[in-house]
Amino acid sequence: MAYKTVERPVLTTAEKLYLPAVMKGLGLTLKYFLKRKKFTRQYPEEPTVVPEGYRGLPSLVKDDEGRVKCVACSMCEWVCPPEAIRVIPGELPGDDPVEKGPKEFELDTLRCIFCGLCEEACPEEAIFLSETFEYCGRSREEMIFGKEKLLEIGGVRAEGVKKWKKEADAGFSRKGPRR
Amino acid sequence: MPTLTIDGREITVEPGTTVIRAAEMLGIHIPRYCWHPGLSIAGNCRICQVEVVKPKLRFPCTVSCNLVASDGMEILTDSEAARKARADVMEFLLLNHPLDCPICDQAGECLLQEYSYAVGRDKSRFDEEKVHKSKRVRFSEEIVYDGERCILCTRCVRFMKEVAGEEQLAVVERGDHAEIAVAYGRELTSPYSMNIVDLCPVGALTSADFRFKSRVWFLTNVPSTCTSCARGCSITVGARWEKIQRLTPRENPDVNRWWMCDHGRLNWKYVHAPDRLGKALVKDAGRLAPADTDEAVRRAHQLVNRFVTKRGADGLFGLVSARLTNEEIFLAREYLAGVAGVKNLDVRPRTGEGDDFLITADKNPNSLGASLIGIAPEEGAVGLEGFAEAVKAGRIRGAVFFGEDVDHDPEALAALDSLEFLVVMDYHLTETARKADVVLPGVTWAEKEGTITNVDGWVSRLNRAIRPPGEARPDLSLLGGLLAAARPEEEGLDRPEAVFEALGKAVPAFAGIRYADLYSRSGRVAVKAAAAAD
Ligand code: SF4
Ligand code: SF4
Ligand code: SF4
Ligand code: SF4
Repeated sequence: MAYKTVERPVLTTAEKLYLPAVMKGLGLTLKYFLKRKKFTRQYPEEPTVVPEGYRGLPSLVKDDEGRVKCVACSMCEWVCPPEAIRVIPGELPGDDPVEKGPKEFELDTLRCIFCGLCEEACPEEAIFLSETFEYCGRSREEMIFGKEKLLEIGGVRAEGVKKWKKEADAGFSRKGPRR
Repeated sequence: MPTLTIDGREITVEPGTTVIRAAEMLGIHIPRYCWHPGLSIAGNCRICQVEVVKPKLRFPCTVSCNLVASDGMEILTDSEAARKARADVMEFLLLNHPLDCPICDQAGECLLQEYSYAVGRDKSRFDEEKVHKSKRVRFSEEIVYDGERCILCTRCVRFMKEVAGEEQLAVVERGDHAEIAVAYGRELTSPYSMNIVDLCPVGALTSADFRFKSRVWFLTNVPSTCTSCARGCSITVGARWEKIQRLTPRENPDVNRWWMCDHGRLNWKYVHAPDRLGKALVKDAGRLAPADTDEAVRRAHQLVNRFVTKRGADGLFGLVSARLTNEEIFLAREYLAGVAGVKNLDVRPRTGEGDDFLITADKNPNSLGASLIGIAPEEGAVGLEGFAEAVKAGRIRGAVFFGEDVDHDPEALAALDSLEFLVVMDYHLTETARKADVVLPGVTWAEKEGTITNVDGWVSRLNRAIRPPGEARPDLSLLGGLLAAARPEEEGLDRPEAVFEALGKAVPAFAGIRYADLYSRSGRVAVKAAAAAD
């Protein structure tokens, strides 16, 4: 086996005393102590600011006219890898032009892996990964969030698709009165 | 007979055969909306474009649904030109289409989606205002129409006229105002009306019952057979969350072709009724109390056995349901006639209105099976009709009801009180079962496997589509348990396939049918059984 003989370094007297090195170390500590740049955040008193594009809890949104945007198409349910979503569709009452909406919408927050596929799959721009990351519950059941809770988290998004808004609402339809 | 070439493959067909049918025979699928093998040719949707290489036409493409095959014809179904022609048709069809897919029940089995995916473009070039038509129109209690999705293929109109034989739908208005509507002064009341929901190639006609319940791709589709009358139409059970979501007809040229009746289609709610039996019940100090199923089976056999040993089988009456499968009826006969020696055997007849299309007057799905296997009172024995009388006279003192009840007959029901013992196997707690000493928890057609014999002798399969509630067990396994208790030395018999084999050996009508041949997702699922019995 090839080997190499390394000369043992010869220490000076000062080095042998160790004191200068100790002083140097203490000096560094003192420097940081005096500069006082804080890294520790006083959570939860001090709220955490999440970076842009953060993928927090999926949530449902309403549009600026207070309509639930979800039409219960179940695309998110279909795409969700850990099967965290369960949509129970229902018929909207009266002659609502959208006809269909979520009677119930369940998100199992314990299953969700925050992949964002639901947001990507949604044709109605109705589900978004929010910035919410703080939520808790005392049982598994409590960790399954229902429609109302998800809507509360999601809030309002004015822009984007509006399924129910037909051009006809703008007062223009080629179809005349029925004869 | 003309010989033509389709996509390089030769085929000789009967004179008058259309190109689309010739292609079907070769297994080549040509897109279609208005054409359906069970309806007349309309030729209005224009999607079935093919390229005609020979003979030379002025335009290379034409529709194949009403192009009659001629000798030496050469057709390309998937050439550049044919695809281009189809793409153009697609663009026209989608001009005013609302693109409701997210809220449309047809999505996932929509021909517009499928052909659009195959040849359509991804963006619309149409930037005018779309034509708006009526939406969410109730054609009847069961059918909802959406005018904007309709492509006016007239399949529904032709079905009502040609198959249902009742012209209840029509095209109204003209041009881009045209819509389908219930014909003036009529109502959509045909007992076959819901077939138009399956027929509609797009989401214009949807079922009110299935509406918005589930996207179709979530359904587990199990081939099975309708048990609502003796026709035994082949069906597909769409289930999700261990619940039936819908029933649809399954093509079977021998029994129901492509159709089924509305009653059969909707008659599944009782499968999920709250009175389903999820546990065996045994009478204890005058009250029925839950019991272990195996224990209950043993107890039932004990009752029968004790009675027969003490009094003989003449005082025993056996009622076997003609709603049970062939296998179950066979084991029931094995047990009652074979083991106990019962001669007083009968079925409970169920009759209603029938017609000359599919619906039969006999509402028991397996009457023929029951009679072939031999469930009928012997000469001089007691049948269901004389049951109450015979109990009063003290001639009948014990009874076993397999899958059946006498709730319809107050006299028979009252007579049950004076029996020494009563064993009932059923899937729900009937008035009859409430009077029993032992109630064995059976299941419905949706939760078990087996075969039934329809009115014409076609044997079709039931397949398990959902899990039974609680500790309920397929009736065959309960009957197998009774037999095993009676003949502990013999090998158990409770697998449908093995029982069917035994049935074939014992009843000549069923000989020669292979159980495995009956399970099929398409095509011919029935094998003639009655021929041998005629
Ligand atoms: S973020 Fe991913 S895991 Fe969570 S609900 Fe959406 S699709 Fe499912
Ligand atoms: S959130 Fe979006 S994808 Fe999910 S059901 Fe609602 S509309 Fe469909
Ligand atoms: S008919 Fe077909 S293409 Fe039209 S909205 Fe329904 S699923 Fe979509
Ligand atoms: S309702 Fe359906 S079947 Fe009837 S014409 Fe319209 S698209 Fe065709």
